[in-house]
Amino acid sequence: MNRTIEVSLSRAEGAIVRTLGLIERRGFVVESVATRGEPQAESLILSVEVASRGRPYDVLVRQIQRLFDVRHAFLIEPQSAGKRLAC
Amino acid sequence: LKGADALLEALRERGVEVVFGYPGGAIMPLYDALLDSGIRHVLMRHEQAAAFAADGYARVSGRPGVCIATSGPGATNLVTGIANAFLDSVPLVAITGQVATPLMGTDAFQEVDIFGITLPIVKHSYIVRHVEELPRIVHEAWDIAGSGRPGPVLIDLPKNMAAGEAHGAARVHEPRPGPAPPDEAALARAAAMIGLAERPVIYAGGGIGIGRAIHAFRGFVAESGIPVVSTLKGLGSVPTDDPLFLGMLGMHGTRAANNAVQQSDLLIAVGARFDDRATGRLEGFAPGAKVVHLDVDPAEIDKLRRADVALPGDLAASLAALVQRPRIGTWRRHCQRMKSEHAWRYDAPGDGIYAPELLRRLSVAADGEATLTCDVGQHQMWVAQHCLIRRPERHLSSGGLGAMGYGLPAAIGAQIADPRRTAINVSGDGSIMFNIQELATLRRYGLPVKILLLDNRSLGMVRQWQELFFDRRFSEVDLSDNPDFAVVARSFGIDAMTVENASQIDGAVDALLHHAGPLLVHCRIDPAANVWPLVPPGHTNATMLEGSLQ
Repeated sequence: MNRTIEVSLSRAEGAIVRTLGLIERRGFVVESVATRGEPQAESLILSVEVASRGRPYDVLVRQIQRLFDVRHAFLIEPQSAGKRLAC
Repeated sequence: LKGADALLEALRERGVEVVFGYPGGAIMPLYDALLDSGIRHVLMRHEQAAAFAADGYARVSGRPGVCIATSGPGATNLVTGIANAFLDSVPLVAITGQVATPLMGTDAFQEVDIFGITLPIVKHSYIVRHVEELPRIVHEAWDIAGSGRPGPVLIDLPKNMAAGEAHGAARVHEPRPGPAPPDEAALARAAAMIGLAERPVIYAGGGIGIGRAIHAFRGFVAESGIPVVSTLKGLGSVPTDDPLFLGMLGMHGTRAANNAVQQSDLLIAVGARFDDRATGRLEGFAPGAKVVHLDVDPAEIDKLRRADVALPGDLAASLAALVQRPRIGTWRRHCQRMKSEHAWRYDAPGDGIYAPELLRRLSVAADGEATLTCDVGQHQMWVAQHCLIRRPERHLSSGGLGAMGYGLPAAIGAQIADPRRTAINVSGDGSIMFNIQELATLRRYGLPVKILLLDNRSLGMVRQWQELFFDRRFSEVDLSDNPDFAVVARSFGIDAMTVENASQIDGAVDALLHHAGPLLVHCRIDPAANVWPLVPPGHTNATMLEGSLQ
């Protein structure tokens, strides 16, 4: 089952590609990506739908959280869009 | 103030006294500023060696190492060193020159996207886009490299940013808070598990030394009386002659260490990451054990083995709260019995030099006080198995990346970080050729680094695997046409000697510990010697192949 991870990123050079690259390198498949944020805002929101090949999502979220440009990262609970799970 | 001056001033503010590098076109403004900076620059003879030297400097000093290279090939030559620092969690600040910003993205001369190339192997990275941002970037890079789980940070410096003047004020650097204190409830659960355990084992990793948690760790071991095994990078967390230490675990671990882990009912993993070389086949690793996992990096928890109690955060703080004295006298005696029954043997037949015996005698003669740096291969495992190691920062080994060529430049960095301590590079005839040009660095700076070159005229570890797992079909492992290494060393102005008989061991050890100035001891050993024991690939640590003298 695919899951969605919501990531709040600083608007820094490489922040998006660093995050998406980490997800793929850790063995997950990026199924879809959406971003939102005001043009002049210091941060943007990245929503990534990912598929696992058997690896735990919570570990992936912690790996994302340790990126310097990441302000917050949460796993969205299935069938309950918007509800955040602590990892 | 020019950008290059601002960068160096920020480094000075962080106490940087020495950097390792190699100049070139795009980095010339920084090298010009270095002349007046008061920072010592060590000219290595290859950028890869500069990164490894900065790595060795960092591991010994406990502070980030700094390496510098120009754009293009200079930057790409740093990549192996950056990856090494990433996989071994070493604080490193790598500064690369870059073509001027108007040329970036045009395939200009010596332009590569080093920012993109290194994304997977850095803790963080920057391209400098505004001169006035440089102080903030340097301070931030320094903090990121050295805090939490350390790692490399890249600063890509376009030539016009280094040469340009700052205009206007920049955002100031705001340090981030350190790790949160350990969770009290989790600590209580872990302490209860330790107190009730019947067959506990402490699994010590490189995080103990990196986190400078040695004192707390040794206090925990002494108070708890729990047997200890360690990873390659955890060696020295307790002295390897400590009665509670059972040896290294994993592929080339001791039988006592691997058996104890397999039989344990509680594994206390401290700064360790369940690496495949340590665990063997993961599904069969410590099959009956519950796991308490302490690590400064929360992302290591549950990555490969689910923890029954997770303690992310500062190791020293957690360890201090975990002290228990479980009643495990029977288990401790059982572990001691396994240790003595499978003790190393050194009575090799013949007159030749048995490398493990030479290494043991060398480290004992040094009383574990020398800094040993290794390259990669059989000699690396023999050092880990047989040398007396008293602290992790006295055993520098490329553990995660396994990079041949690490040892000599790392020894240079170690020698500069701690000039009063003897640095000895134990190398092989394959590995030494990867960075042999650094003999010139020893000569130039008069560094008294010693090199023990164990020469089996082959790529020994690959040959061993071909012998054991590829039906003795030896493919491209013969190095019998090696140069005369003693002559090579002398041509660089380095004293050298060659030994090949067991009767020469005492002389070699004495020279390695007491010769004034740099020295290469070229030691011919048996090409057929293998590293034992060995857990075959795909097996659990319960399956250990044994050779002679084990």
